[in-house]
Amino acid sequence: MSALTSNLYIAVQGRRNRGLAGIYLLVFLLVALYIFLSPGILSVAGFSKFTQNWFPLALVTLAQALLMLNGGISLAIGPMVSLGAVIAATTMGGALGVPGGIVAAAIAGLALGALMGLVVAYLRLPAIIVTLASSFIIGGIALIVLPRPGGIIPPWFSDLLAGNVPTAFLLLVLVLVAWKIFLMTPTGLGIYAAGDNPVGAYRSGVSVDRVKLMAFALSGLLTALAGLFVAAQTGSGDPVIGTPFTLNSIAGAVLGGVGFLGGKGTMRGAICGSLILSLMINVMFFMGFPPVAQYVAQGLIIVGAVAIPNLVARWRRA
Amino acid sequence: MNVLGKLMRNPPLLTLILVVAVLVIASLTLRGFGSYGHLRYIMELAAVIGIVAAGQTLVILMGGIDLSAGAIMTVTAIMLPLLSPAFDPTGLIGIVVILAIATLIGFLNGAGAAWLGVPPIIMTLAMATFLQGLLVIVAGGSAVSVTNAAVIWLGQGRLFGISASVILWAVVSVAVIVLIHRMPIGGRFLALGANPVAAQLSGVSVTRHTLIVFALSGFFAGVAGILILGMNRQGYVGIGEPYVLTSIAAVVLGGTSILGGRGTYAGTIPGAILLVTTTALITVVNASAGWRSIMFGTLILGLLLISGREARSR
Repeated sequence: MSALTSNLYIAVQGRRNRGLAGIYLLVFLLVALYIFLSPGILSVAGFSKFTQNWFPLALVTLAQALLMLNGGISLAIGPMVSLGAVIAATTMGGALGVPGGIVAAAIAGLALGALMGLVVAYLRLPAIIVTLASSFIIGGIALIVLPRPGGIIPPWFSDLLAGNVPTAFLLLVLVLVAWKIFLMTPTGLGIYAAGDNPVGAYRSGVSVDRVKLMAFALSGLLTALAGLFVAAQTGSGDPVIGTPFTLNSIAGAVLGGVGFLGGKGTMRGAICGSLILSLMINVMFFMGFPPVAQYVAQGLIIVGAVAIPNLVARWRRA
Repeated sequence: MNVLGKLMRNPPLLTLILVVAVLVIASLTLRGFGSYGHLRYIMELAAVIGIVAAGQTLVILMGGIDLSAGAIMTVTAIMLPLLSPAFDPTGLIGIVVILAIATLIGFLNGAGAAWLGVPPIIMTLAMATFLQGLLVIVAGGSAVSVTNAAVIWLGQGRLFGISASVILWAVVSVAVIVLIHRMPIGGRFLALGANPVAAQLSGVSVTRHTLIVFALSGFFAGVAGILILGMNRQGYVGIGEPYVLTSIAAVVLGGTSILGGRGTYAGTIPGAILLVTTTALITVVNASAGWRSIMFGTLILGLLLISGREARSR
């Protein structure tokens, strides 16, 4: 029996990996190019620095993928990153200290995420509009918390998260393990099920609305913590620092093969997608591209990443 | 009760009543709000939103979304002064050229969606990113002033005391409503939005109509970009950005389903006016940038809760 289930497990995992072969290859090629351009990545400090640049993008991509797997989307990722950053920068220097700052950022992310989920799930407004409108509200809150760049993150905490030690990488592994465990719970599975087929999931006993709310809350938590990390990285807070993360989170998830209609895609794909994006930005930087050219390249790559598999599938069918 | 029930099922009318109520209350309580000059100013701002939202309405009716409308407006506003030749005192050549470019960008959106199978939301978002980078490379990121006579007239001119932009909006409104409700192609848009498979099996070409609808959206975004340029007399990177949210909000406020297949531009018109009026109310309240942003988001959410909710799926 256990042999059967383990075989089934391997088969399922294998099928999930199959569509990702192209992505794995791309990751491999980009990593090789990166090592060629900047061999320093092979040292502990170099590896740490690279993973630190990748980490916030990986977290927000996970947050976005979580919603997309559930059939939703968030256009409020950027402002939420900013909010996490300014909350961390204003509380950690004060009486509450570092633990207080972490708790405050986490609560803000969870609560605002849950509120958006509440409006989407129970008041039945489309996620795209709710999060677009919320992006103004959350961005406004961030501006009120810290009207201009400032605040302070204790230097020891910055060194711990963004120094020459691979803390960020370990945290990422931890998050992925937690996701794996979460997927074994009924709620975790429900996120996939409700995204794939809401009516079917509902009839099978998944509380679709509650699962949706959970997805938004968790996504908010991850995003706010990404903001906290960004603040630790820069040593201070900035109320608009998160802006590019909205598009990049969607781009990472889409590059990783996560579909828009829910239920399609994997977290490992999303992680690879964010890694590709991060590598790409770094490689373009090394090759001397001006920052604006990255926008142009990014637009083309996103379209290519979605279009090429579509065209290949169509060509195979024909 | 029966009347109320009927009203709740007619979102365009509901939005219209809401906008009249807000305007009347604001005019009675705030000095100067109801003056002809101020109302005309509100209508001018609403014309810009209304015209972008015309394209957005068509795209959403067909089940898509256009997140690049703001970027197309910015492209128009920045490129138009560069493309208006000095030998043409009327400025019409520049307008024709820039509208062709805007339409072409929209067409490319449609090509990505129809031929490459990229979902509209990704295609248009990627297009917006692409254009943003391209603009900074082309224009260098600095603001440009406009001297094009036709553009300035459209943005600031008047005919019998009515702003040229509002007249243009009225023309666009009639054209779009006729297109949606009185022409076969409008029916096909609605059919594709409601059930693409059924429409396709009935002989409606998805590819062709996707190309047309996105090209139209690009065209209308271009017209709106010309208007905003004429009003501001200056184009800069980011000028069109706020119009992505406002155009989508105007469509949904007007009772058009974001899922496609159901709705009308007749609802988008009061939706656009409602948005501008509430934004004007926020400006009256003396608040910091953060609070203004919060009020704007909350008001849009609140308005959407009244008239933009989807039907229960189960």
